[in-house]
Amino acid sequence: MKVITTKGVVKVYNPDKIPVKALNGVDLEIKEGEFTAIVGPSGSGKTTLLNVIGGLDRPDEGDVEVGGHDIDAMSDNDLIDFRKEHIGFVFQAYNLIPVLTARENVEFVMLLQNRPKKERRERAEELLRAVGLEDKMDKRPSELSGGQQQRVAVARALAPKPDFILADEPTANLDSKSSANLLDIMAELNREEKITFVFSTHDQRVIDRARRIVTLVDGKVSSDEVRGE
Amino acid sequence: MILIMAWRNIWRSTTRSLVVIGAIAVGIWAALSLTGFATGMVKSYVNNAVKNIVSHIQVHQPEFLDENEVKFNIPDVAEVEQAIRSEEGVKSVSLRSIANGMISSSKGARGVVIKGVVPEDEARVSALEENTVEGEFLSEEGRNPILISEELGRKLNVGLRSKVVLNFQDRGGSITAAAFRVVGIFDTGNKPFDQSHVFVRRSDLNGLLASPADSALAGGALAHEAAIMVNDIRNVDTIAFSLGAELPNLKVQTYREISPDLELYEGQIKNISLIYLTVIMLALVFGIINTMLMAVLERIKELGMLMAIGMNKLRVFFMIVLESVMLGLVAMPVGLLLGYITIEYVGKNGIDMSMYAKGLESFGMSSIIYFELDPGVYGQVAIGVFLTAVLASIYPALKAIRLRPVEALRTL
Ligand SMILES: Nc1ncnc2c1ncn2[C@@H]1O[C@H](COP(=O)(O)OP(=O)(O)OP(=O)(O)O)[C@@H](O)[C@H]1O
Ligand SMILES: [Mg+2]
Repeated sequence: MKVITTKGVVKVYNPDKIPVKALNGVDLEIKEGEFTAIVGPSGSGKTTLLNVIGGLDRPDEGDVEVGGHDIDAMSDNDLIDFRKEHIGFVFQAYNLIPVLTARENVEFVMLLQNRPKKERRERAEELLRAVGLEDKMDKRPSELSGGQQQRVAVARALAPKPDFILADEPTANLDSKSSANLLDIMAELNREEKITFVFSTHDQRVIDRARRIVTLVDGKVSSDEVRGE
Repeated sequence: MILIMAWRNIWRSTTRSLVVIGAIAVGIWAALSLTGFATGMVKSYVNNAVKNIVSHIQVHQPEFLDENEVKFNIPDVAEVEQAIRSEEGVKSVSLRSIANGMISSSKGARGVVIKGVVPEDEARVSALEENTVEGEFLSEEGRNPILISEELGRKLNVGLRSKVVLNFQDRGGSITAAAFRVVGIFDTGNKPFDQSHVFVRRSDLNGLLASPADSALAGGALAHEAAIMVNDIRNVDTIAFSLGAELPNLKVQTYREISPDLELYEGQIKNISLIYLTVIMLALVFGIINTMLMAVLERIKELGMLMAIGMNKLRVFFMIVLESVMLGLVAMPVGLLLGYITIEYVGKNGIDMSMYAKGLESFGMSSIIYFELDPGVYGQVAIGVFLTAVLASIYPALKAIRLRPVEALRTL
């Protein structure tokens, strides 16, 4: 089963000066195919949790297992390769490689995986069409709006068919129409490609679309609500 | 695609990249031109020394070299001359008889080496005829003609058609003196040589050198030195070697043995180009490091993102090295071409150093230097630039892969 489990995860920043317990014992299990929102006040540890799950940051205590792999046992470079194969990231900003076109950005991770050129091309075009950017494929990020850039980022995260997509406030810089649009795309891909989505957000309209809502307060899970659609 | 990325990355900061590319190109140009200049100088020095003074090969009686006395002449001159002329690769030979003596005028006297030459033979071996700047070269006409240098003329206060007296010992050991008339003034550009050498006809000198006891030597049979020019200077060692085997009782020396400084200078050409290259590349290393470091530091976030989405450290490292190498590769053809044009142009037309020529000429060089470059140096420079670019990128590339993605992403 492609699940994410965290057990007693603690992450302390600034252990020497003024320690900040960004995560303070998080136990969580996210199953395959879920569409989960992580919510909570600013500073509650949402970004930190996503980074720890994605192996961008290492927990000080506790275990993180992603798709059966013990994240803590891997070296930094192994983690990079692990992400390349299994995890797609969407950040709040600075997602795209500025010197590459939308199409090349989407192809990029597949290229790192040494997929054949034809497959890369077809998949990139298919995904860009899916996110409604068929007419922007050869544009560089600087020629795209914020919403278009985030859609390219989602397309890129999806391109290598990862098991999980981790998105940290993907809609934070978007207007409500673009947000709704992006959420539609994410939900559809979640259904059709069976990709597990975990995203953090402050946005009530985004929260409304989630099927599971995990609320963090002060680095702890304070509520965990599963809803039908 | 990493190639494309690297290529586009270097053009993100066009001005900065162009500045480094320009610096590298100028560096290549300078390395080539300086090496071409140095090679040209050395070659000019060696050529001048060869054609004015030492010639390619010289043959002597071994004792003559030690004692410098007129009695140590080359035995069986006619056969020796024949042997040398029939040696393959030999272009010309001049047999000289030599006496150490004194030249005097009403104004003074100086010690000189008196060389007796056969005018037409000498003209084919050395540049003495071309170097005769006033009057005429020695010929068969007239009584006791002599060539002296401008320097010596000034010192003795004599000019064309003046009379000078030569004093020296003949083979019997008695001092003889004879009057000579200045028919020509020469100037090789090498002051020490010019001040201490005069040229007369060998037949005149031999007539004076032969003591009554050995009058058989009076005509063409007396010579102390055979000066030889070969067709191709690169064969000088093989020709000297085979002459040595043929003339076992004589000492055969190449210009390098006669004038060890020439060998030293020739040997330095390679080192010179390496030294210039190293110095210039060292300067470039810092320029490239600086540029690449800036390129890495202003892209921290992006590099973090690349590692977050799966670009591993080896690839990030490789991308940075590639960017640096590309800067070098763009600059390389420009610099090589500029250098080539400079070398070819100055190689043909020469560069007039007469502003500094006084200094140069007293060192035995021409005032016009023709650049010259061993074609291998272009390859050497190309490899040098490539290695420099790779070396200079290592530190910035290490800096890039030491970034941790989260921290890099958090950097604003
Ligand atoms: N590098 C760091 N050094 C020190 N403290 C940090 C660091 N990163 C995060 N923190 C602290 O850890 C806590 C959790 O931060 P985190 O970014 O995970 O919160 P968040 O829930 O994502 O907040 P937001 O909604 O504002 O994005 C905060 O108190 C934050 O100040
Ligand atoms: Mg956050």
